[in-house]
Amino acid sequence: MLEIKNLHVKIAEDDTEILKGIDLVLPKGEVHAIMGPNGSGKSTLAYVLAGKDDYEVTDGSITWNGEDITAMAPDERAVAGVFLAFQYPIEIPGVATMTFLRTSLNAVRKARGQEELSTPDFMRLVKEKAADLKISSDKLKRPLNVGFSGGEKKRQEVLQMSLLEPTLCVLDETDSGLDIDALKIVAEGVNALRSPDRATLVITHYQRLLNYIVPDKVHVLSGGRVVRTGGKELALELEETGYAEFGEEAA
Amino acid sequence: MTAERLKTKAEQGYAAQFSELESRSSSQDWVQRLREDAMSEFNAIGLPHRRVEEWKYTDLRARIGEVYGPAGDAAALSGEKLATLLGPLGDIDAVRLVLVNGVLDEALSDLAALSGSCEILPLHKAVDDAPDWVRGMLTTVNPPRPADATVALNQAFLANGVALRTRMAAPGRLEKPIMIVHVTGGESERPTSAMTRNLLAIGDGVEATVVEAHVQLGTMPSQVNAVTETMLGERASLQHIKAQTEGAETTHLSTWMTRLGAQASYRAFQFSTGGALSRNQIFVAFAGEGASSHLNGAVMARGGQHNDTTMVVDHAVPGCESREFYKLVLDDAARGIVQCKVNVHRDAQKSDGHQAAHAMLLSEAAEFDSKPELEIFADDVVCGHGSTSGQVDEEFLFYLRSRGIPEPQARALLISAFTGEAIAKVDDEAVRGAFQTMAEAWLADEGA
Repeated sequence: MLEIKNLHVKIAEDDTEILKGIDLVLPKGEVHAIMGPNGSGKSTLAYVLAGKDDYEVTDGSITWNGEDITAMAPDERAVAGVFLAFQYPIEIPGVATMTFLRTSLNAVRKARGQEELSTPDFMRLVKEKAADLKISSDKLKRPLNVGFSGGEKKRQEVLQMSLLEPTLCVLDETDSGLDIDALKIVAEGVNALRSPDRATLVITHYQRLLNYIVPDKVHVLSGGRVVRTGGKELALELEETGYAEFGEEAA
Repeated sequence: MTAERLKTKAEQGYAAQFSELESRSSSQDWVQRLREDAMSEFNAIGLPHRRVEEWKYTDLRARIGEVYGPAGDAAALSGEKLATLLGPLGDIDAVRLVLVNGVLDEALSDLAALSGSCEILPLHKAVDDAPDWVRGMLTTVNPPRPADATVALNQAFLANGVALRTRMAAPGRLEKPIMIVHVTGGESERPTSAMTRNLLAIGDGVEATVVEAHVQLGTMPSQVNAVTETMLGERASLQHIKAQTEGAETTHLSTWMTRLGAQASYRAFQFSTGGALSRNQIFVAFAGEGASSHLNGAVMARGGQHNDTTMVVDHAVPGCESREFYKLVLDDAARGIVQCKVNVHRDAQKSDGHQAAHAMLLSEAAEFDSKPELEIFADDVVCGHGSTSGQVDEEFLFYLRSRGIPEPQARALLISAFTGEAIAKVDDEAVRGAFQTMAEAWLADEGA
């Protein structure tokens, strides 16, 4: 279970407070959506869950399965089961995708006390998961994300997620920049990972993604706080009314 | 009125060594004249210092305090020992020519394997026999103008090295890379010096790969001065690769002087991790139209290492292409320098030149100096340059760490990726693999 208590976060560099006391509970086996207007702190929350050190937690705590992860390094969180699918996956020239995947997977396995995978086993696993996500083997030969389209990058994120088998998945605006076909493939990948042991937090501005990844609960974030929580129908309501009542002016 | 310039201790040392050598020399007159002229030239200009523009970042007058004695007759080197010195380079399937302090070690060299395709002469024999091709090349392939003190010194002490000429019909291809192994130093407890001059003549339409590997025997400081003169015939193609891993006390002065015939292709790569002070000079001249020169390299330096790459590319004729691409990783108080001067002569229309040098600085005290120079006298040319320096990208680092990769490993992966972009330009797969392994070994050494 993910428990966020009274979480206050500021930007480390300029002391701007972004999150102003978030309380949220996400039980295992559930999918929750975080929605909210631009600037409400959605992406900050995603980064803070993953441990980005541009942000400083000034108060409150984050616990995952009873373990306080607030002060953990990003790699330790990954080992503890936290996975952030980035809104803008990073292109890293010179790092071969397969080298990266293997280094990542084996680092996590080693730290979890599992055996590292042999090259053939690793290759087989990646090929199988990549095929599910319709990622061509040509893409796996390239440097990480370099020259990939938005949809290809998001699929790579889901591939990494399915390899690392996290227990807490945080998807930051996974729908942004995707056409409907890519969206379906990505959503299928995420849905395939749904399990009683896994909790998923879907962060999105639009309701569209939630047609494909149906949440158990929807939280509305505004001004750095959770201002409303409801069932999946809340997303539809927001689609109708927009975020005006939460302080965002109509475009 | 002219006054004799006051010589530094090192300059006096070179002069003393030269007189000693002269008294023992029995070479042909023309070689003797070359040496004497070169020594006079050196005496006139002396060791370069920071007020000499080409050497502004590498003050040899200040850095070379004394001159070490020649290594002399090399101790016998075993094949096992050589394999240890070569490390990953030893795994490259190449035909070897082994120079121990400049002297060709015939037992360790695969002379027989090359006898069909190449003519190979130890340099002393090449100057004694003086075949036309040697006389036509030696000191004339692409001499630096104005005169360069280190090349003049090398010429004054001309004796050792190897001369190689392909003798295949065009078009022809040397099946395996040729690896010239420069072993410096010895088991003795004294610091030593070695001057080496190599000649490479790649015939018309011949395709070859030559790797020059500079390794060090023992841990005593050495002073290396190695010059390679390379001539590419029409449509010839050469991958000219260098690996430099000498000891941390060694002064490494190296010059490649290359002349390209029409439509020739020269692809150079220099990978440098060794030496206390390294100066790697490459001078390229286009002598025929439609030729191309790609000078690429990677430098990894730490501690107080000083690594200077200085290139001059001369577009003397129209329609040639030149590219330079360097990546440097600098840690601790290491200093990296890349200077590249591209001259485009008035008639050299349709010249196409681009240079880039990128440094990754791993510490506050590391320093990178980049000096591109373009001198263009033609009006229809495309020339550009770019240079950056920065640190390990924090966003990249966070991304990798968020995937469970611990920080030191993530950092190493990113640094290796940075140099990897340069190493990717090595065409030969085996050499590329060896360089990648060496880069990773360098990174694994960090903090050790």
